Amino acid sequence: MSIGVHPDYEVVIGLEVHTQMRTASKLFSPAPVSWGEPPNHCVHPVCLALPGVLPVLNVLAVELAIRAGLATHCTVHEQSVFARKNYFYPDLPKGYQISQYEEPICTGGWLNVPVERDGERELKRIRITRIHMEEDAGKSIHDAAVTGRDATHVDFNRAGVPLLEIVSEPDMRSPEEAVAYLRVLRSVVRYIDVSDGDMEKGNFRCDANVSLRRHGAEEFGTRTELKNLNSFRFIEEAIRAEIERQAELLDDGGRVEQATMAYDPGRRRTRVLRFKENADDYRYFPDPDLVPLVLDASHIERVRATLPELADARATRFQRDFGLSDYEAAVLTASRTFADFFEAVVEAGAGGTAAASWILRDVQRALKDRDLEIEASALRPEALAGLIAMVEGGRTTARSARGLIAELVERGGDPEALVAERGLEAVSDTGTLERVVDEVIAAHPDDVERLRGGEQKVLNFLMGQVMKQTEGKADPGVVRKILAERVG
Amino acid sequence: MAAASETLEEFRASLDSGESSSRALVEAALSRAEGIDERLSCFVRMRAEGALSDAEEADRRRAEGEARGDLDGIPVAIKDNMVMEGEESSCASRILEGFVSPYTGTAVERLRDAGAVVVGHTNMDEFAMGSSTEHSCFAPTRNPWKPDCTPGGSSGGSAAAVAAGLVPVALGSDTGGSIRQPAAFCGVVGLKPTYGRVSRWGLIAYASSLDQIGVFTRSAAEAAEVLEVIAGHDPLDSTSVPEPVPRFREALDGDVSGLVVGLPAEYFERSEGCDPEVLAAVREAVATLERAGATVREVSLPHTRYAVATYYLIATAEASSNLARFDGVRYGRRASEPKDLGDMYRRSRSEGFGAEVKRRIVLGTYVLSAGYYDAYYRKAQQVRTLLRRDFDAAFERCDVIATPTAPEVAFGLGEKTDDPLRMYLSDIFTVSANLAGVPALSLPCGFSRGLPVGLQLMGAPLAEAMVLRVADAYQRHSDHHRQRPPEFA
Amino acid sequence: MAEIGGDEVERVIALARLALSEEEVAGMARDLGAILRHAESLAALDTEGVPPTAHVIPLATPLREDSAVSPLDPEIAVANAPRAAGTAFVVPRVIEGEEEG
Repeated sequence: MSIGVHPDYEVVIGLEVHTQMRTASKLFSPAPVSWGEPPNHCVHPVCLALPGVLPVLNVLAVELAIRAGLATHCTVHEQSVFARKNYFYPDLPKGYQISQYEEPICTGGWLNVPVERDGERELKRIRITRIHMEEDAGKSIHDAAVTGRDATHVDFNRAGVPLLEIVSEPDMRSPEEAVAYLRVLRSVVRYIDVSDGDMEKGNFRCDANVSLRRHGAEEFGTRTELKNLNSFRFIEEAIRAEIERQAELLDDGGRVEQATMAYDPGRRRTRVLRFKENADDYRYFPDPDLVPLVLDASHIERVRATLPELADARATRFQRDFGLSDYEAAVLTASRTFADFFEAVVEAGAGGTAAASWILRDVQRALKDRDLEIEASALRPEALAGLIAMVEGGRTTARSARGLIAELVERGGDPEALVAERGLEAVSDTGTLERVVDEVIAAHPDDVERLRGGEQKVLNFLMGQVMKQTEGKADPGVVRKILAERVG
Repeated sequence: MAAASETLEEFRASLDSGESSSRALVEAALSRAEGIDERLSCFVRMRAEGALSDAEEADRRRAEGEARGDLDGIPVAIKDNMVMEGEESSCASRILEGFVSPYTGTAVERLRDAGAVVVGHTNMDEFAMGSSTEHSCFAPTRNPWKPDCTPGGSSGGSAAAVAAGLVPVALGSDTGGSIRQPAAFCGVVGLKPTYGRVSRWGLIAYASSLDQIGVFTRSAAEAAEVLEVIAGHDPLDSTSVPEPVPRFREALDGDVSGLVVGLPAEYFERSEGCDPEVLAAVREAVATLERAGATVREVSLPHTRYAVATYYLIATAEASSNLARFDGVRYGRRASEPKDLGDMYRRSRSEGFGAEVKRRIVLGTYVLSAGYYDAYYRKAQQVRTLLRRDFDAAFERCDVIATPTAPEVAFGLGEKTDDPLRMYLSDIFTVSANLAGVPALSLPCGFSRGLPVGLQLMGAPLAEAMVLRVADAYQRHSDHHRQRPPEFA
Repeated sequence: MAEIGGDEVERVIALARLALSEEEVAGMARDLGAILRHAESLAALDTEGVPPTAHVIPLATPLREDSAVSPLDPEIAVANAPRAAGTAFVVPRVIEGEEEG
């Protein structure tokens, strides 16, 4: 059983992602989209819902929505309809949000997501229910230092910014799967230039629907909705905390009530913001200020032609041309820059499987430890290819090379020079190594006997001892040869 | 000096001949408004300073031979639900008290680009919800023909201002008859164009899928002229029709021979509660057209009896959402000392909206709410389809449809304010044109008990030219539109 | 369905963010009842298979080029505000994350 899944309950997670589309102006207003401006410096009468204003749809937002739909294998509909979702909130200027409800632009897609299950790495297909366009609300400023104790400030700079809402099926079964899906989805929207996916700015944020059911149960349990999670770490923690909370309730014979939840990262707990009541009545109806969005098939095809090679196609090509596994290919192609990096390493002379293995194991770990994206790292593809070549040519050892990856990722540099500077050249001088091997044999007579008796795994132990003595610099091939001579 | 009852053409003639100036016309309009309007309450706000300076600009242009066109220097009035940069607009509602618009609506902008001088905002039923101009936060407008009667509504201020000769042209808006019914009650021409013909940008919405800006004038020819100015595609309105605007005036050849006038049985034989004198006047007007060469044919609009219910379900649903923005956050009225946000919303809205607006917001909220949407809102949208099909079929058989505009002449002030359903049912002849989106015009066709009777002409979508042509031809054969309210002659 | 109870009217009034006196609620219930009874006539009409009309014009929504215009002067943006602080609108304190209650 993989980590994070509860022994008694199956965890069911569905995600709603809001990602801000990369446009210059807002979805229905010609006001500029910008970030970090003082309150109400980027508004137009439409953003303020002044009396008499009307919405007009942004063509680029439509193109980007089509791109997102195509890249996630959705059906892009030739007709979609904007509806009003009616509710009152100070940062919702019209008293309704223009969204798509009964007829969204895209439905029925999927993404393949690399997951680990029972220690095995595999691809899992997560279905996407729908993708639709909608406008963002403004921002309420609650910071009492700014507003004083009795007031909330409202800023409409963000009001009307174009969002895509991407809704998954409840196909995820652990917090890790949820995060894996989000990583792939974020890569996709960045890959196809729909969004910068900047989570710190809230340009890629997520609501998670979480429910539990007894293993083997058919029906879903009552779900709660975790609102506005905007980092992978918080998403994972929040879902985990919510699983705990629900499991405790159920264990005590209680019931989970439908509610909107918030995550408190300080206490690592979720808390109820409000229970969902019948009073939530959004009175959706088609927006009479906007007629249906109609796209002809050729328009959709024109957008398809502008898409970069999509991750799936690229993964298939990687499998075919470089002999990678489907998992390796999927992970490498999950982000365009990652895939580009891999191809550049191969271009610089490395073999496909070696490049994949180095990138997926050592480079990825170094990036993760530093919370870096590949494009933000100092590692150059030529450097990695050079390092791989040195290992394969026996000029340094894998172990030494591995020790250099972190530094290359952080500061960059030339592997040849680094190996020389650190004295990490492989020791292949037979005289030196024979002396070390003899010392090891002398120190471990019992093991040598067992090896002679046919216990091959002892060979690895003895090799390890030699490596230890040489600080990992011994050329493993030469060592193995000497050991074989001495023992055999 | 401009007399009260001059037509647009006469105004223009006096400008062209140098006999008068735009400044003089505007001054006259302002001073008449000041005197007469004490009694009529056509205007809710005059724009004296701005209008005079606009008029001087117009006079300067004319002097330099750069007059912008036929409306240059002409005083006009706009309904209080239209915004103009730097001016107040309130929709005759306390909730918009003091609101100053930072932008100008398209129709008003086009009038101003043509040189017309906006002298003020006219009275209306609050948020255009009403048929009498009594539901205004200001004093109710009175009918120039009989001051204890209403001018109709909701554009009662605009209709009365033109009838009383305060201005030759006024803009109104029509969601269920709000131009045509007051035009009928006040004895002027009121034209509601095809939905989408005139941009709604800058028109404070009541019901977005039904609202349409139109004009009040004395004659169909003048209406044609003003429509040419304000109509046309506007990229700021997604429901604006991207069709070229015909030269409507060129269609006014006075000839109706060969045209077919359709009379829907549902508006005549089977219409209950229609004043027989109104029916008689309308029949006489149709006979006039027949004598002028038109053919009269019976047509059928079988779903007419469902129109009022359909209209009120759709209009109030849209209104409940359109009026959610009046929340006391960004503009307009906010209740004093709110104890929390919810209190601020509820009190601002309850104090700011009048009873009729609240009634429609509650009705509209109800029909959209969970459990009722299909039975009411969706059902009404389906019936709307049937009503449209009625018109499509009828216009296969005729060029224009002629009906009474309203089942009665102007009613007394206060007569119907207690019974909303009765007030709603008096819209029976006008709401269908909004539901079907077709152009419709009301013009004076006689009198009953000293009050004007309106003839309604409806046309196929975008066929304003046909409607105007028939109306103009009728006016060449009648002089009802030249009658003046005795007090304002 | 045409009879509309006081509770139902109260629910809708709350949804619409209005506050009415008891008397007004009763009057509202009476008026709505009358109007909805009239609207009941629609129920008798067979509309099976009739598509709803949301818009009378057979148009596809127009699309606007993605180019930004200069924003409103922030002073003008808040000029109509009942309450503002600098260029921010001010409302009574809202508890973060909570919907208006």
